[in-house]
Amino acid sequence: MYCHEMQERLLESFEGDLFPLEKGQLERHLSQCVECTRFAALQSQLDLRLREEIAAPQLSSGFRSGLQARIRRQRREPWPDWLPDVAHLTGSGVAIGLCAVLLPLPVPVVLGAGILVAFLAYSLQTLLVSAVEGQIE
Amino acid sequence: MSDEDVRSLLHQRRCAEAFDLLLNRYQGKVFRLVYSILKEAARAEEVTQDVFLKMWQVLPDYDGRASISTWLYTITRNTSLAALRADSYRQTVPIADHDPPAARWEAGPRQIEIKQLVERLPGVQQQVITLFYLQEHSVEDVAYMLDLPEGTVKSHLHRARRALADMIRR
Repeated sequence: MYCHEMQERLLESFEGDLFPLEKGQLERHLSQCVECTRFAALQSQLDLRLREEIAAPQLSSGFRSGLQARIRRQRREPWPDWLPDVAHLTGSGVAIGLCAVLLPLPVPVVLGAGILVAFLAYSLQTLLVSAVEGQIE
Repeated sequence: MSDEDVRSLLHQRRCAEAFDLLLNRYQGKVFRLVYSILKEAARAEEVTQDVFLKMWQVLPDYDGRASISTWLYTITRNTSLAALRADSYRQTVPIADHDPPAARWEAGPRQIEIKQLVERLPGVQQQVITLFYLQEHSVEDVAYMLDLPEGTVKSHLHRARRALADMIRR
């Protein structure tokens, strides 16, 4: 029980300084206990190797410029969000109008069919856009 | 420079300056936290950029309820774990061609052995002991970054040290 307690104290010493009283108790125990002395030696060796071998890598010199470039790309929004919708609706309106004038069919039929096709195309476009955005995220 | 300065700049809607301060203060810590999860420097750097890009997007919405560093570390952990999941989905190499786990660390020949041992520890012990040595032996930093109590971090560290010593003895 006492050995376990002393070993825990020893492990704490790798995380920061012990109080002088604790340090004294630990040193006295180590001078009398072969098992804990072995444990201390092994832990010191382990601590040294971990210090040496788990070294923090450094960010590359291009980290900041890369991040700034990505931020600039985000800022640069070539098209406003609403533009595709407006373009779609305008294009559909013009096409329906032309069909109503040019096709030898009753105007209500052309308008009805045109609005239906425009609605279906718009729904498909919305689905496609949300699928692509979902994949990007 | 403290988080208070960042808050004050955000309060004045000076988001770009606040972002620069955050970047100066936390880029190293965020990178090390990401590296402790992904274990590959180049990928960790890319994900660190993702973290700060997200931070840049959401910084204007910061409402001051959580501390900025807590917020940043939460984004960092979530982004790193998502990257780890995405990477593991992408890895479709045949089993025979797959490197052993320790080879994922960027290491020279001498480093393989101790890192192989660390890789055999349970996930949370691996992360705690790695971050402890990456973060210049600060239990407080590790606890903060992983959102764990300091006592829990110490207990994971002690278990990890005992387990590593047992592995070396065998």
